Amino acid sequence: MEGIHVNGPLIVQSDKTLLLEVDHDQADACRRAIAPFAELERAPEHIHTYRLTPLGLWNARAAGHDAEQVVDALVEYSRYPVPHALLVDIAETMDRYGRLTLSKHPAHGLVLTTTDRPVLEEILRSKRVAPLVGARIDADTVAVHPSERGQIKQTLLKLGWPAEDLAGYVDGEAHEIELAEDGWALRPYQKQAVEGFWHGGSGVVVLPCGAGKTLVGAGAMAEAKATTLILVTNTVSARQWKHELVKRTSLTEDEIGEYSGTKKEIRPVTIATYQVLTTKRKGIYPHLELFDSRDWGLVIYDEVHLLPAPVFKFTADLQARRRLGLTATLVREDGRESDVFSLIGPKRFDAPWKEIEAQGYIAPADCVEVRVNLTDSERLAYATAEAEEKYRFCATTATKRKVTEALVRKHQGEQTLVIGQYIDQLDELGEHLDAPVIKGETSNAQREKLFDAFRNGEISVLVVSKVANFSIDLPEATVAIQVSGTFGSRQEEAQRLGRVLRPKADGHEARFYSVVARDTIDQDFAAHRQRFLAEQGYAYRIIDADELLAGGQGS
Amino acid sequence: MSTHEPDRAAEDGSGAGSTAPRSLAEALRARDDASLGALLRARPDLLSPVPSDLTQLATRAGTRASVIRALEHLDRFTLQTAEALAVAPEPTTYGTLLALLAGDEGDDAGVDARTVSAALPHAVAALREQALLWGPDDRLRLVRTARELLAPAPQRPSPTGLGPTVAEATAGMSPGRIQEIVTAAGLPSTHDPVSAVASLTALFTDRPRMSALLDEAPADAVEVLSRLVWGPPYGQVTAEPAAHLRWLLDRGLLLPTAPGTVVLPREAALHLRGGRAHRALEPVPPAVDPAATHRATVVNATAAGQAYTALATVEELLKDWDEGGPAVLRAGGLSVRDLKRTAAALDTTEPLAAFWVELAYAAGLIAPDGEADEQYAATPAYDNWLEQPAAERWVRLVAAWFPATRTSGLVGGRDGAVSAAGRTLSVLGPHLDRSAAPEVRRRVLALLSELPEGASPDPETLLARLRWERPLRGAAASSDDAGDPDDLRARIARWTLTEAELLGVTGRGALSEHGRTLLDGGGAAAASAEAAAVALLAPLLPEPLDHVLLQADLTAVAPGPLERPLAEALSVLADVESKGGATVYRFTPGSVRRALDSGRTASDLHDFLNTHSRTPVPQPLAYLIDDVARKHGHLRIGAASAYVRCDDDLLLGEILADKRSAGLRLRRLAPTVLAAQADPAALLEGLRQMGFAPAAESPEGDVLITRAHARRTGPRTAPEPVPEGPPVPDGTLLTAAVRAIRAGDLASTTPRKHAPGEQSGALPRTSAAETLATMQAAVLTGEAVWIGYVNAEGSASQRVIAPIRVEGGFVTAYDHTADEVRTYPLHRVTGVAELEAEA
Repeated sequence: MEGIHVNGPLIVQSDKTLLLEVDHDQADACRRAIAPFAELERAPEHIHTYRLTPLGLWNARAAGHDAEQVVDALVEYSRYPVPHALLVDIAETMDRYGRLTLSKHPAHGLVLTTTDRPVLEEILRSKRVAPLVGARIDADTVAVHPSERGQIKQTLLKLGWPAEDLAGYVDGEAHEIELAEDGWALRPYQKQAVEGFWHGGSGVVVLPCGAGKTLVGAGAMAEAKATTLILVTNTVSARQWKHELVKRTSLTEDEIGEYSGTKKEIRPVTIATYQVLTTKRKGIYPHLELFDSRDWGLVIYDEVHLLPAPVFKFTADLQARRRLGLTATLVREDGRESDVFSLIGPKRFDAPWKEIEAQGYIAPADCVEVRVNLTDSERLAYATAEAEEKYRFCATTATKRKVTEALVRKHQGEQTLVIGQYIDQLDELGEHLDAPVIKGETSNAQREKLFDAFRNGEISVLVVSKVANFSIDLPEATVAIQVSGTFGSRQEEAQRLGRVLRPKADGHEARFYSVVARDTIDQDFAAHRQRFLAEQGYAYRIIDADELLAGGQGS
Repeated sequence: MSTHEPDRAAEDGSGAGSTAPRSLAEALRARDDASLGALLRARPDLLSPVPSDLTQLATRAGTRASVIRALEHLDRFTLQTAEALAVAPEPTTYGTLLALLAGDEGDDAGVDARTVSAALPHAVAALREQALLWGPDDRLRLVRTARELLAPAPQRPSPTGLGPTVAEATAGMSPGRIQEIVTAAGLPSTHDPVSAVASLTALFTDRPRMSALLDEAPADAVEVLSRLVWGPPYGQVTAEPAAHLRWLLDRGLLLPTAPGTVVLPREAALHLRGGRAHRALEPVPPAVDPAATHRATVVNATAAGQAYTALATVEELLKDWDEGGPAVLRAGGLSVRDLKRTAAALDTTEPLAAFWVELAYAAGLIAPDGEADEQYAATPAYDNWLEQPAAERWVRLVAAWFPATRTSGLVGGRDGAVSAAGRTLSVLGPHLDRSAAPEVRRRVLALLSELPEGASPDPETLLARLRWERPLRGAAASSDDAGDPDDLRARIARWTLTEAELLGVTGRGALSEHGRTLLDGGGAAAASAEAAAVALLAPLLPEPLDHVLLQADLTAVAPGPLERPLAEALSVLADVESKGGATVYRFTPGSVRRALDSGRTASDLHDFLNTHSRTPVPQPLAYLIDDVARKHGHLRIGAASAYVRCDDDLLLGEILADKRSAGLRLRRLAPTVLAAQADPAALLEGLRQMGFAPAAESPEGDVLITRAHARRTGPRTAPEPVPEGPPVPDGTLLTAAVRAIRAGDLASTTPRKHAPGEQSGALPRTSAAETLATMQAAVLTGEAVWIGYVNAEGSASQRVIAPIRVEGGFVTAYDHTADEVRTYPLHRVTGVAELEAEA
């Protein structure tokens, strides 16, 4: 049915972005209609921007939506007529998915079948496909080496003919895992995420930091009831997973192994760090055997957007296992989104940050950028600094340190994290603030001790380096102050914001400060990160440090 | 020289109207004015110059070039009819023609005979109208030139695939050999070759006898015949043919045409074909199938949306070129790089950018500026266009597109038609005119308008229909045309579909209401059709908005088109990030600085945003403006021609205080530096005159700032479409032309009253007194008379005039021959005769 809303909430742009007016009556209905195929790109206060991409459209196809639904949704809610060419393009793009299918043939094993012979002819002529396939079985079918299942999916996606993987999964070695829902339960969106994943077979669940991704992982394990390999970013994160799994599931300490630089335990549930997997000795990856050491039924990738390139390569060989990716954002700074799609799987669940915040599962945050005027001598030194030293210089100026100290004083008594990039800056800050510093060289034992002390409120200020960017759980941090970062990294911003977003016991609003040196490259990087915040729907303010210092306890 | 020129000497006064015409000219003479008008409308090339009489018209209608042109304009069935006539005996009857087309009765292989007999009268009428066919139904004659063009000849295969007749093929054969064939075919021998050929022809055309003959044929021979039957009818044989070929050769079923070559004679082929001249006859035009049907509101809304986009795109293009467009190449047109850049600026592909550029050019909105370093720039017409309401602007664009012969689709291709090497065709460059474009475009849109409302066509069936309407004539046509004309027409048709969608003439592939209205209007109705289209379109176009939505991520979203002043102000203050139904603007330090540069202050900008935002201005945006404003203007830059520097600031003070320095326009920039507007030489001279001893420095630090300004060409006219052949004459011209030809004809052919002793056809000779009397009588009766006249150069002519006034030795008369009122000196009139009453 073709409908024209004289005043629909959606505007389709010629660059394939969709603008959704959020205050519109039909905005919710429209959001639900377009979410399956359009990626939410920006969610500031009035107009949300979604983008139509081939990956997004194929994601929708993989989830069982067809082109007609997509076109209907656009036409239904669009305020202005949708350009015909765009509709045709959508139909054509979506039509490309599923022309090729990977499946199990009773006699020939893994085969690639097509419903459209010319497509098969086209891709078989590609030099990149040729080494991946075996004998031609009939006009529409060609055998694929089982070991190349991931490779061929990756290659076909690059050629623009994504294959649907129906070859199924091995069950893996069974292992009894139950959620221990005593006094708590999976939140509705977590349940939906688990169901979405399990139904789809493999794929990625996108949830904001602090929304309980670990529990989605636990839920998936309880569905699989099989031995599980969990890949996480670092050891602290590994411990947290273990801690959480022991607490939330029927698993005991002894059933969970840690495979890291220090321990090499392989148990029914094994948690390994990316770092140990990608350690190379004499040109080989000695820890790859981990993948084959057990008959894993499920592989969980934590923080998919950080997945190092070699892990993709291993993952290509793991296509027969169920794979679950967990992430806060599909945005990869290296642009390998298509590898995530082809090797781990399409997006299975997605809930916008603001929506979960509105449900009260994550704390609201007040983001403030504090602009610091450098002194004249600092400005001169900055102007003459070497290009590659410029950021380091302006990010670590003494003026910034003073403002940071003032901020800490202002929030005395609140659990405060000071986050930075440069160790000497952090050491100096730690000294001035009389606070412990956690950095790369801090031993894991020491880290956990400090985290515990912070949790208990024994210490209220903690200075952390970027080692704390990922997966540490600091439930009571209400103030975060970032003094320097990895240039303009948006996902780092997301991670750091996530540190203060856990719901607070007293419902106190979280504060997120960025201290930025005015008129320097620091400010440009901050602008890039701030834009990410604004696009996620976080209102942020910019205030002058002078105002802040003069105002004392104000604001 | 055509042979159907009437032998006028043979005519006598009994009149030609009552019996069958004996020539094309006679046939034309028998036609009424409306029908002559129709001929001239269909073949406007016959009109230039206006023929003096019908004989000349008939002669011209028979020239090869004109006939080729006429044949090219026939639809497939009419052409097939003409082809059938070309293989039929001359003259032929309507019945024979029908049989050639529909085939023998009871032959079910061909098309439905009823369909053919329903379509044939139209085809015959069309051929008659175009003066390609004449004579009554029982004596139809195809114009000889057409017959020569369409008939089979050894060097040129016929479109029908038929070979020569028995008579033609045996023309050079020895009589003895002919008698042998006749005997072999089982016929009695005859006295002479002519009757032998006649009896053989009679055998081949007699179905039962011919079938009986062929029943005896060896299987191999039947196989050979079936290979030749649908053409080409020629085959190769060796000196010693095989038995089955021998059998055929003996009976004249294959006749030798050259050593080693044989042909299947036409009569035999027709027998084998069941009498049909064409294997696949297409008496009815193929239908254009609708591919999809949308609701009219959807179609109109989509088209209107696209129409708006089209306007925005053209405006954007012109804005991009506002401060001096791309340079004109020496050979004319735009360089590939400039096209690429324009495409990037318009956020579109190069072919589409080419289309928009050509559209703006056709509408007269851009032109080369004609200066030494020639650039493209907007014309003054663009400024007028910009002032008009959106719907009218759209009509202007579409009205330029309909008749345009420049085809942007060719851009980037090789120019095969002009030179064999083939230059790459550049946008706005030469050789883009394709005269067929307007006609194809009009036909495509007309076919769209014939579909049910809201239906979009299946392009393939549309192309099939177009091919039927203007089929590619056989090899004869394509041999003297380097390009592939059929291919070009199909390409133009495809481009038309795309361009119509881009312009919003169609929406979702179906013709929109406003597009239809505009299409229906032509000629005199154009103005009212345009007004109607404007009225239909205007309410569908979005209303311009007066507000935007400001967001904390430093974007502003205009959820629809903005009022022009707002859009212009905003495009200075922010960068456009995304376009379409809405516009997304992004504020950056650079864009805010740009706004400050244009003379706005920070508080202006705050006011501007507050006025046009429905929500509070986000704090980061307000902060950004203040932050940029804080730094703005910290560094000052100005233009100076020269400077004076001196370590002694008192001395500089002295110079400034001196009245004589006023002319140097000095200004103190710093205690020890003066800036001057005068150039260094003048400054040096001036200071010397004041008694100082300045020394010149190397002229560094000269800053010249040239302000950018909008460039405009001088007044330019839009390029004229280059039509195919002469323009189709309008009604007035046609009537006048027909009258002129008739009058000329009257003058040259009307039988006149015989003056005693006068030879028919000679210039009338009467005495001066008689002339005067006859003239005066004619003034009174208002009748036309026939005069002999000798002009100032001494050449004699005859004219038919209707005298209005006779005075002072002059006769003022309406000259039928020249179709105007003229004055003749009576002494130059050699004689006068009354016209036959009948005329």
